[in-house]
Amino acid sequence: MDWLEDELRRALSRQDPPDGFAERVLARSRPVAFPARRWVAAAAMVVVAAGAAGAWREHRGNQAKQELLLAVRLASVPVHRVQSQIRGISQ
Amino acid sequence: MPIEAVEAGCDFRALVRQHQAMVFSIALHFLRDRASAEEVAQEVFFSLHRNLRQIESPAHAAAWLRKVAVQRSIDEGRRRSRRPQVALEDVAEPAARFTPGDPLLSDLLRRLVATLPEAPRMVMVLRYQEDLEPSEIATVLEMPVATVKSHLQRSLAMLRGKLERRGVGESGWTG
Repeated sequence: MDWLEDELRRALSRQDPPDGFAERVLARSRPVAFPARRWVAAAAMVVVAAGAAGAWREHRGNQAKQELLLAVRLASVPVHRVQSQIRGISQ
Repeated sequence: MPIEAVEAGCDFRALVRQHQAMVFSIALHFLRDRASAEEVAQEVFFSLHRNLRQIESPAHAAAWLRKVAVQRSIDEGRRRSRRPQVALEDVAEPAARFTPGDPLLSDLLRRLVATLPEAPRMVMVLRYQEDLEPSEIATVLEMPVATVKSHLQRSLAMLRGKLERRGVGESGWTG
C-alpha cells in the first residue's frame, strides 16, 4: 500500500459530529403536534363566531323593520288629519 | 426493513445514529468547516425524513444519504465559493519532519485536499473516507469512471509533489 494513500485514509477518516447532533436532528424532525384541546378550542371559536354573526344579522333586520314602521307611521299622520278634515267638511 | 418500520420514528432515529459520522464527515472533509458541515448534515437528515417512503432497505438508506450528502456539500461549497477560500500558499510549511500517523501530517493533508478543485476534492473524500472504488464514485458523482481515475491520479501526484517539496515523503519518515 502506498504511504500517501495510507496517510490520506488516516487524515480523511470519519469523524463524529458535535455532541447532541442526533438529538438536534430528531427534535427538529418531529412533526408539530396539534393537541385535541386546540381542536376543541378552534371549533368552539367557529361556533361562537357563527352565532355572533347570526345574532348581528337578526339585530340589523329588526332595526331596519322598526325604522320602516316609524317612517310609515310618520308618513301616515298627515293623511289621517286630511281624511278627518275631509270627513268634517262633508258632514 | 419494511417501509412501515422505516417510517416509525425509532428507525429514523437509528438511521441518524448509524450514519451521522458518514454524512457529517463528507461535508466536513469537503468544506473544512465544522459549523457548515453540521448544517449540511442536518439538512441531509431532514431530507431523509421527508423522503422516508422512498427508502427500501438499509443499504439503500446508506447510498441515498451518501449521495445527498455529496450533493448538499457541493452546493454549499459553491455558495461559499463567493467568500475567500484557503489558498495553497496559505497552508503553513511543516516545522519538523513527520512520522507515519502524525496528527500534524493528517492536518496538513486535510488542508492540502481542501485546496483541490471541487470535483477532484470530492473524489478524494469518497475514495479515502468512504473507501469507494472508482466505479462506485463514478455512480455517486455521475461522471465517467475514467474521469474519476484521472482525478485520483492527478490529485495524488499533486499532493505527493507538494509534500515532497515540504520535505515530507517516504524517505522523510525517520526524521
